[in-house]
Amino acid sequence: MNWPDLSLGGYGFYVWGSYLFALIAIAWEVVSLKQRRKSIGRHKTPERTPPSVIRGSANETTT
Amino acid sequence: MNIYKYASPINFYPLAGKLIPWFAIPAAVLFALGLFVGFFIAPTDFQQGDAYRIIFIHVPAAWMGMFLYILMAAYAGIGWAFNARLSSMMASAIATTGAMFTFLSLITGALWGKPTWGTYWVWDARMTSTLILLFLYIGFISLQASIDDPRRADRAGAVLAIVGVINVPIIYFSVQWWNTLHQGATIRLLQKPTIQGSMLYAMLIMLGACWLYSVAVVLIRLRCIILEREQNANRLVEAKA
Repeated sequence: MNWPDLSLGGYGFYVWGSYLFALIAIAWEVVSLKQRRKSIGRHKTPERTPPSVIRGSANETTT
Repeated sequence: MNIYKYASPINFYPLAGKLIPWFAIPAAVLFALGLFVGFFIAPTDFQQGDAYRIIFIHVPAAWMGMFLYILMAAYAGIGWAFNARLSSMMASAIATTGAMFTFLSLITGALWGKPTWGTYWVWDARMTSTLILLFLYIGFISLQASIDDPRRADRAGAVLAIVGVINVPIIYFSVQWWNTLHQGATIRLLQKPTIQGSMLYAMLIMLGACWLYSVAVVLIRLRCIILEREQNANRLVEAKA
């Protein structure tokens, strides 16, 4: 096992910067999904809507 | 067991909820393992020094950006051709994660480019076509968000997604077709990879982690989309009553 030195041979800014960006991107995605889920309603589960109603509404808005 | 019942968003919703931990937990484990192998096992590159360690996030992110676009276009196409609501919802759910990985590949590529090529950005074929991929994702997301009726939004998005697929082989073969600053492929399907073993393992483990992570977040987003659309449908029912 090799223990890398934190400066990574002078490339630390680029390497750690890359992984920091990755961490921020993943954290942003997870947090934004949590907020989206929260805004819909925490314990909301979908109820069955008659397919005819859904089809009817789609036709109504497309024509 | 009738698996076809899961083609219905309402039936797929609880199944997606059960599947999420089976992807999210292994994704976290593989991320940790990939970083361990990448930083503690893989040796320093004789040419690029430790700067090459960016590839453990850059390459999986770039591959995921392309894979997810093809997947998104396939789901959008199936949804359009067969009027399958769940497929269209899946395409919408994939788009944000694909855009995130494409953005990440561009940022990490720029951070790799500076120490190895001396510049953060050049308008060469690989980088420009990857930037176009990001614009295609943003276009797909914006187009769907700009149309109120989900069915029409799905159809419009499907046209854009399918047309944009042409960009994926352009990205992949750009380093062969044009003289670019970006290095050629070191891993090919039918040839022995020209990369050291532990470096390859770290990259493949990180790719596995990215796949598992993508499935988990896409399923979470899909559940949100199902809820939002069902709520809208229920509002229509109430408005009609």
